[in-house]
Amino acid sequence: MALVPFAYNLRSLIVRWPSTVLTVLGIAATVAVIVGVLALQQGFTSLFREQGREDIAVFLRQGATNEGDSAFTRERAMILMKTVPQIAEDAQGRRLVSAECYLAVRRNKTQGAGETNVSVRGVMPMSFEIYGSDIRFVEGRNFVPGTDEVIIGSKLANRIEGARMGEILQFNTTPFRVVGIFDHDGPFSSEIWGDHDRISEALERPVYNRVVATLKPDTNWAELAQRMDQDPQVPSKLLTEREYLTSQTRVFSFVLSALGVVLAVIMGIAAVFTATNTMLTAIAARTAEIGILLSMGFRPHAVFLGFMLEALLIGVIGGIVGALAVMPLNGIQTGAMNFQTFTEVAFAFRVTPPIVAGSIGFAAALGVLGGAIPAWRAARLRPTEAMRRG
Amino acid sequence: MPPVRLVFRNLLKHRTRTVLTAASLAVAIFLLCVLRSLLVVLESGIKASASNRLIVQSSVSLFVLLPESYQAKMNRIEGVERTVRWNWFGGYYQEPKNFFAQFATDVEDLFEVYPEIVLVEGSQEDFFNDRRACVIGWEIARKYGMRVGDTMPIIGGLYPRTDGAPWDFRIAGIYRSVKPNVDNNTLFFHADLLEKAIESGAASGPEGVGVYVLRLSPDADRVRVAETVDTLFAGGPQRTQTASEAEFQAQFVTMIGNIPFFVGSIGGGVLIAILLATLNTMLMAAREQTRDVGVLKALGFQDGTMFSLMLAQSLILTTVGGMSGLLLAFATQEPLAGVLGTVFPGYHITARTALEALLVTLLIGVLAGIVPALRARQLSVLNALRSVG
Repeated sequence: MALVPFAYNLRSLIVRWPSTVLTVLGIAATVAVIVGVLALQQGFTSLFREQGREDIAVFLRQGATNEGDSAFTRERAMILMKTVPQIAEDAQGRRLVSAECYLAVRRNKTQGAGETNVSVRGVMPMSFEIYGSDIRFVEGRNFVPGTDEVIIGSKLANRIEGARMGEILQFNTTPFRVVGIFDHDGPFSSEIWGDHDRISEALERPVYNRVVATLKPDTNWAELAQRMDQDPQVPSKLLTEREYLTSQTRVFSFVLSALGVVLAVIMGIAAVFTATNTMLTAIAARTAEIGILLSMGFRPHAVFLGFMLEALLIGVIGGIVGALAVMPLNGIQTGAMNFQTFTEVAFAFRVTPPIVAGSIGFAAALGVLGGAIPAWRAARLRPTEAMRRG
Repeated sequence: MPPVRLVFRNLLKHRTRTVLTAASLAVAIFLLCVLRSLLVVLESGIKASASNRLIVQSSVSLFVLLPESYQAKMNRIEGVERTVRWNWFGGYYQEPKNFFAQFATDVEDLFEVYPEIVLVEGSQEDFFNDRRACVIGWEIARKYGMRVGDTMPIIGGLYPRTDGAPWDFRIAGIYRSVKPNVDNNTLFFHADLLEKAIESGAASGPEGVGVYVLRLSPDADRVRVAETVDTLFAGGPQRTQTASEAEFQAQFVTMIGNIPFFVGSIGGGVLIAILLATLNTMLMAAREQTRDVGVLKALGFQDGTMFSLMLAQSLILTTVGGMSGLLLAFATQEPLAGVLGTVFPGYHITARTALEALLVTLLIGVLAGIVPALRARQLSVLNALRSVG
């Protein structure tokens, strides 16, 4: 089967460059918007999902969906910490378990950008053993247990007022001094940490919001989860840290994905129409040429394929241009409110290879859809008539 | 004056192209209308806020409750006429996804402080006299098919009952808010009921008051009262942050993040895409009509007429597209409001949004038409006739 030479279609795109460029840019703008939204979604979810650990257990109150809802009284938390036999021990025989308190507090953003909500976590010294090297100090030192000192996540330090080294952060009526800045690849880098007892007293919240622990390697998680669910003394919900963090992204992630899909459909329709217009005009102007091609012996399906290829090329180039246009966003830090915890987390846009590949594929599909009808029309032309019309 | 018949003939000559261009404009304008309306919803609560109300909340956190004892102290402040408690109940109807706001409140004061909450069914007296009664917004009533006299079982997420049963509220009334600062998706019930249930051990949950809303006397100095409240509780046990209703609403919008910028970026992308598409069509049309322009000019038609011929085509094309998009936005208003209701209460296309959409449409029409129009004006007869089209 003889195909129409590719050079023919390529040249025709170049000859009609204003039209080609406008169509390509139109598709590029569509792709750019969608890639931008998806890069936001990816950056947000991967911050939570990829950093959550499988070997850290999170205990919440039954029925609670996040730390804010969850609460254990002091007595119950102590029972849980002392009695669960699956909790691992360190070299000195200490149980690797810690109870934490958590609250989203109001803070002023820097540069007068209004108020935001920031996670404050009161932790026990054992928390640092459990998270281990995930928590890295980039400046200063850790807080001294029992004192009014706090450490700040690295991504938060410049986003809110009073969060740099040596500055004072006030919670209700108690001032705390910032003594260290720490880094974490996950959401902890947007949090303020301090001594559990001091934080809980300052915030007047004499409860523990969750208990975290490292479990023994041979623990049967499903069995333990079921037992904790029915525990007569401290009924609780057991999750891995990864499960917990993943569950915190659901709403925001869904909103962004849904937005991406809605935009893809609506803007996609407009882009397909534009591509159709471009191809229709291109073919109308070349009616005589098509007549010649057909009378030279090129089969209609070869003509059809040739024009489809032309449309596909417009789509793919549009997709590549669109993806390239958004590429500089990759790695740029931004912040967003996590709807589930109502706190702001900082994260980076992530233009991942699947997003790029998907969006170029999407653009290619736009081109193909737009080219289908015009190409079909071209293939159905009668040679003699076509030559006469041109 | 453009030659009107020729304008339409030209547009109809390539019917498919005209329809497709208008259709893509329609979807783009539709999308812009929807995006704009979402922003309008966010702003409308702020704009409709009453100036005689102050909101008192914890200065520490949205999730920290204020002591009950504050109410009596604030009632004694000069300029404060009435105070009403709003306690976030955080429950849901049957399943967590059936989510809407519920507040335990001082029911009689609520209607005094919020005249915009108007009962369209049921009676206030009935609501006041039955401690187990509630009133619900009409949107809840419609969504779940509830009527006055029905029982609305709410599962207490934040305030579970000790016996594990849901809270059964008898619907004493259905309200409709006459201003957008109060939505139609809320259930109000007696704060006393919640308080007594916690006291007696029938339910458990955090004790205290989420926010106090103060109604000020007409001659009161808003700023002074707010300062007085905050100073009164500066020493604790909970510091307060007192704001006007508008500031309170605005604070939520900024907390959610820079939504106007985000939505604006998307809108910008849509605009660019559609402008390019329209420009593309107009350039294609202009190219085909080059020879016509030459002939018309040779016949003695003025340069200005040729200019208007092209511009008119562009404007008519975009207006038809833009108007269709606007009609689509109006036609989908009801179903979209249903879908977006809980997050964007009172979603609707305002007259202003419609006007803006038309302006954007005209702007696209001018921008897309100006290049071909200028070219048609400058074209010399000779070059035009020589063109191969």
